[in-house]
Amino acid sequence: MPLLLGLFSVTAACSSKSSEISDKSTDTITIGAAVSDTGKYAREGKDTRQGYDLWQDWVNNEGGGIEVGDRNYKVEIIYYDDEGSPDTTARLVEKLITEDKVDFLLAPYSSGLTKSASAIAEKYDKIMASGGASSDSLFTRGFKNLFSVFTPAQYYTESILKALSTKGAKTIVVAYEDTEFPTNVAEGTEKWAEKYGMEVLAVETYPKDTADLSAITSKFKSLDPDVFIGGGHFNDALLFVRAAKEQNFNPRAMVLTVGASNPKFVEEMGEDSAYIFGPTQWESTMNYQGQYFGTSAEYAQKYQEKWGETPTYQAAGATAAALALHIAIDKADSLDTEAVRQAMKELDEETFFGPINFDETGKNIDKPMGTIQILDNQIQVVVPEEISLAQVNYPVPGWKEREDNDSVASNSN
Amino acid sequence: MKNFSKILSKKWGGLTLWGSLIFLLSFYPLTGASGIQLFTATQIFLWVILASNWNLIGGMTGYLDFGHAVFFGIGAYTMGILVTNSSLAFAPKLSFWQALPWTGISAVIFALLIGWATLRLKGAYFSIAMLSTFAATREIVRILRPLTGGGSGLDLPPVLNRPGEYYFMLITMAIVVSLMWWIRRSELGMSLVAIREDEVGAEMRGIDTTFHKLFAFAVAAFFTGICGAFWAWQNTYIDPDVVFFQNRNIIMIMMCMLGGLGTVWGPVIGAVLLYLLQDLIWSNLVDYHLLVLGVLLILLIMFIPYGILGALGNYDTASIVRIFKTSNKTKAKIK
Repeated sequence: MPLLLGLFSVTAACSSKSSEISDKSTDTITIGAAVSDTGKYAREGKDTRQGYDLWQDWVNNEGGGIEVGDRNYKVEIIYYDDEGSPDTTARLVEKLITEDKVDFLLAPYSSGLTKSASAIAEKYDKIMASGGASSDSLFTRGFKNLFSVFTPAQYYTESILKALSTKGAKTIVVAYEDTEFPTNVAEGTEKWAEKYGMEVLAVETYPKDTADLSAITSKFKSLDPDVFIGGGHFNDALLFVRAAKEQNFNPRAMVLTVGASNPKFVEEMGEDSAYIFGPTQWESTMNYQGQYFGTSAEYAQKYQEKWGETPTYQAAGATAAALALHIAIDKADSLDTEAVRQAMKELDEETFFGPINFDETGKNIDKPMGTIQILDNQIQVVVPEEISLAQVNYPVPGWKEREDNDSVASNSN
Repeated sequence: MKNFSKILSKKWGGLTLWGSLIFLLSFYPLTGASGIQLFTATQIFLWVILASNWNLIGGMTGYLDFGHAVFFGIGAYTMGILVTNSSLAFAPKLSFWQALPWTGISAVIFALLIGWATLRLKGAYFSIAMLSTFAATREIVRILRPLTGGGSGLDLPPVLNRPGEYYFMLITMAIVVSLMWWIRRSELGMSLVAIREDEVGAEMRGIDTTFHKLFAFAVAAFFTGICGAFWAWQNTYIDPDVVFFQNRNIIMIMMCMLGGLGTVWGPVIGAVLLYLLQDLIWSNLVDYHLLVLGVLLILLIMFIPYGILGALGNYDTASIVRIFKTSNKTKAKIK
């Protein structure tokens, strides 16, 4: 008998709970996101989540919800921790779709996890907006539901190579980590080098988690290139700069694909970080603006107020991805997947993150890649010119020259 | 609980119970289970197969293989290469079913080549050799870019079918565990246990130890390869780091230890329990899950070295500590 009673109360609880949910869901758009809280992408995952959250708060409070038809919807994001593992990501995205019955999906951070997640989204025909993946292979699988606001990896070095070629750079060398994203960047680099009339003198790869890159820099030193393009992850950037300085390797421009645009890089390397170039998806000093969050700087300020830290490009990308979805729902004036997908494809919008315009495969084709250069210990956007405040500094002084300058400066003191 | 363990050790008891369980499980997708429920069940089946295979070489034969997931990787990459045809000129693009047998076969060939060398080593030396094989294979796969896609990996056709995946793993699991049951009762199984307990003694009594060890190794590799192939298909993309994932080795071993090494049902029980436990830990103690697993491992060795079945009075089990001691002793004898 107690068992029966217990069963009854459980059923009762369930039914009351489900009716509550259905009442609520009539004016709530639920959006699911499996994002890393732990694991190897814990840091970027946190930024991504904060970016999504900022959008959610903004829509529900300042934005006053999303109007669809004659109804006003609030948004609710359901999060799970994907632990940085593809197995878990796949499971959680499936859970979001089949159990939580979300209307739309926001992608995890990293191209690898997005691959797992987008395959599930495709299976259930759910739209997934991504603000944290840029590998080109994401867009060659024929998926129609994945949309990413990042500039694709192969464009990472386009704007800087173009700028450097007009300044007279003729030769380049490339070194990259043998994983998906750096490989895409390097393949793009070779393509752009050819387009802008530069000669690729050497291409080297190195395995993940390398602790020493001096073999590569010493080989490059003998080639004496104008431009050095290298990188994979943050640590590689540190290793390259240290090795270059030790061996007195002096390319006229040093472009590090990941790391240089991170404020920690300047902290870590101090004076040695001077003049280094780095591609960036977004900086708060870029001169973009849009209808929703205002200018890049205004967005950064909002972010700072909410989270007490400056936004990384991962965070801004996440907000922009959610915003793209938001605008598409607005334009479609519907929550129907087909209608919103069509609106996503037709989207052509200026935002705080730059232009968003998806092609058939879901890539953002209009956003140019920015490049920063570290000048006076400041991260300054130098390319493209329309959105930058500082000038490209090329050719940069060699390590010896800088020391001499320093000693001259200190002597004169 | 003691009765349960008795049923399992009766001649047909365990298999009857197993058959009934599989029969019941085959109705699960028809009850309207959602995609995520089927997916979770499929993952549990996958781990049961992996743990059972590891148990064959680690638990029954006493060769503690710390790099068994290498066969998982070989299977996954064979599947990936055959279905995507990354840049192979000699073979046409295959479908999942056409590629499947080759994944097992390539794992077996790899096992025979590696086993031929490593199975001569004893105790910790074998474990270390297999761990190195695992790490080395991962790096080789990374370098073979034209074939494997290098660090970028391969994208498989994203065809997902949860009920289909469920039945595929259910049937494979039914076959694998029944096979283990048969092996354990056959002369082959007895010989494997004899090798575990005293390899020189077994050799003296006329058991062809080399053949038996290689055979067990190949069987374990075959099904592990199939699991890898399935996983690659289900995950829709592979790269060296997700396929050759170090934790997979450790989890397989822990599952066997939890259930009871060297028994047929230990790995099954261990895999189910540890999977559910991990899920529980992950959803509640995310920041500490590695710590919790580590503590669990220590507790296992200290308090139930013979696993759950051992604690229930099943004397077929072996403890990992004893296996290490025995195999090191054997090595001393050979010297």
